Amino acid sequence: MLEKMMKSKLFGWIDERTGAEAIIKSQLTEYEVPKNLNYMWNFGSLALLVLVLQILTGIFLAMYYKPSAALTYGGYTVAFDSVERIMRDVNFGWLIRYMHAVGASAFFVVVYMHIGRGLYYGSYKGPRELLWIIGVVILLIMQGAAFFGYLLPWGQMSFWGATVITNLFGALPVIGEFLQEVLRGGFAVGDPTLNRFFSLHYLFPLLLVAIVGGHVHALHVVHSNNPTGLDVHAGKSTIPFHPYYTIKDAFGVGVFLLFYCYVVFFNPQMGGYFIEVDNYVPANNLQTPPHIAPVWYLTPWYTILRSFESKLIGVLAMGASLGILFLLPFLDRSKVRSARYRPVYRQMVYLFFVTVIILGYCGHSAPTPTLKLIGQISTAYYFAFFLLLPFVPMFEKTKPLPEEI
Amino acid sequence: MSETDQTRRNFLFAAAGGMGGIAAAATVVPFIGSMLPAADTLAAATTEFDVATVEAGQLVVIQWQGKPVFVVHRTPELLKQVDGHDAMLKDPNSEAIEAVSAEWITPENRKYRAIKPEYLITVASCTHLGCIPLFKPSPGRAEWGDSVPEDWPGGWHCPCHGSLYDVSARVINGSPAPHNLHLMPYKYLSETRVVIG
Ligand code: HEM
Ligand code: FES
Repeated sequence: MLEKMMKSKLFGWIDERTGAEAIIKSQLTEYEVPKNLNYMWNFGSLALLVLVLQILTGIFLAMYYKPSAALTYGGYTVAFDSVERIMRDVNFGWLIRYMHAVGASAFFVVVYMHIGRGLYYGSYKGPRELLWIIGVVILLIMQGAAFFGYLLPWGQMSFWGATVITNLFGALPVIGEFLQEVLRGGFAVGDPTLNRFFSLHYLFPLLLVAIVGGHVHALHVVHSNNPTGLDVHAGKSTIPFHPYYTIKDAFGVGVFLLFYCYVVFFNPQMGGYFIEVDNYVPANNLQTPPHIAPVWYLTPWYTILRSFESKLIGVLAMGASLGILFLLPFLDRSKVRSARYRPVYRQMVYLFFVTVIILGYCGHSAPTPTLKLIGQISTAYYFAFFLLLPFVPMFEKTKPLPEEI
Repeated sequence: MSETDQTRRNFLFAAAGGMGGIAAAATVVPFIGSMLPAADTLAAATTEFDVATVEAGQLVVIQWQGKPVFVVHRTPELLKQVDGHDAMLKDPNSEAIEAVSAEWITPENRKYRAIKPEYLITVASCTHLGCIPLFKPSPGRAEWGDSVPEDWPGGWHCPCHGSLYDVSARVINGSPAPHNLHLMPYKYLSETRVVIG
């Protein structure tokens, strides 16, 4: 079908003025992709899909949402009421809001799988270092966007989550207090905070679009890694992206939508994991809920923060746990990419995945001495994983690599 | 082109580029400046409160500059609970930073951290990450279970990350919070009316 379209007169007219044919060829029909990619390679296109869904649903939510902490006659606030109005009175408002709230969690599920894939198969290694680094920037901006968005419904979790996180910035020496004021626009989280968070919540996803563009461009320069981690040679072990991977990605979209729609229609709050129960209580700046925890996708980092006695060290450790991802390509000195051929790294990376899940669990639960200890041990391994990487090649006996995939 | 020509050009490029860069950087000032608290936000700075409305043994949370503030009416028994556990405290004399002290502090009221010992008035934000601690005044675990240690002197327990404070809001060793709850400026206008801020 694409070939037929490209032969039409209209396409010829457009091509003369845009060079469209050369772009389609170099990026799709003649863009070479290893033939052995498994389903772990589907999560990139899914992330793109969810990003588009978030922007689309977000734009429609913004038509009814009102970012104001002013009190209403009902005793609630304008922002809280506007979200409830979206849920009850706006046509299909419930659907669009649930798509957006579930979409935020889906975004992180998909992106964490995508990152895990990169870790396991060594996709961060040369020549893909910059591709990986751009990916980490995307992760940070996503976390920012989700954090800003979570304040908007102005529920108890929104309010106290934002209070805790803006206080984190306050803990930094010298610039801390200034940063905190810039984020809050007042002495405490309040109406000015809500307004600026809405503005930034609109901005960050659009930043993401630009950076994702850079990510895909960087990918198309260095091409995809593959489960063997071998360098591949065009023609012999590759197939064109279109139609082979467009169809495979489309199949992935179908499977993803099955899960996504199930959650949106039948279980949008996911038992308090996707929308926390306390967030249906309007924000009250004079009472902290008995147990506050961030949404699941931020809990691993929250546990790292909580694992230290000193506030400053906790904050720095949390920053370092994300920052160290930037250094990963330079810490890992092994010449072999894929964990398939690296017995030691393979065990390490599996344990790393388990550790991050444990960290997430600890961060979601109310603090107890046992969980604190488990969290501290997990935090230690989280960092040890990265810091051991330069030394692993000294003793790891990698398995023989195949000649060609 | 001659050699001198080129160096002069390079200098002019660097000078013009540098000035342009400085000018561009300076435009950050109004933009970031606009994000700092606005004049009317800064102006809403004092709160008046009548401490006589607080029953003996009771705690109320009021608002000052959008921040929560504790007002506790301490009974003679509660005041006794201030003594005897200095070794458990990070900063028993409230000297670590300016915000935990006040100019009206005297050797006599230092351990009470209040102008009138029976009315403790402090900022209610945990000095760890700003949650509002829960008031758990009775000593020991009888009422509070294992949310507090066995030798609990009575005070506050923060639900967020478990910081503990005694009944003068002084932080107990082992808490993630670094400091005692902050004091803020206040004065008595009459026998029971205070103005905060
Ligand atoms: C990176 C993509 C995005 C992520 C991860 C994200 C995340 C979130 C989250 C977690 C919430 C709170 C959900 C809730 O509990 O109800 C939220 C709310 C909201 N978002 Fe987004 N968002 C994204 C993009 C956008 C965009 C582009 C807009 C367009 C302006 C937008 C507009 C809104 C509005 C108006 C709300 C408040 C209504 C509500 O709470 O349901 N979002 N967002
Ligand atoms: S905010 Fe109170 S212990 Fe962290």
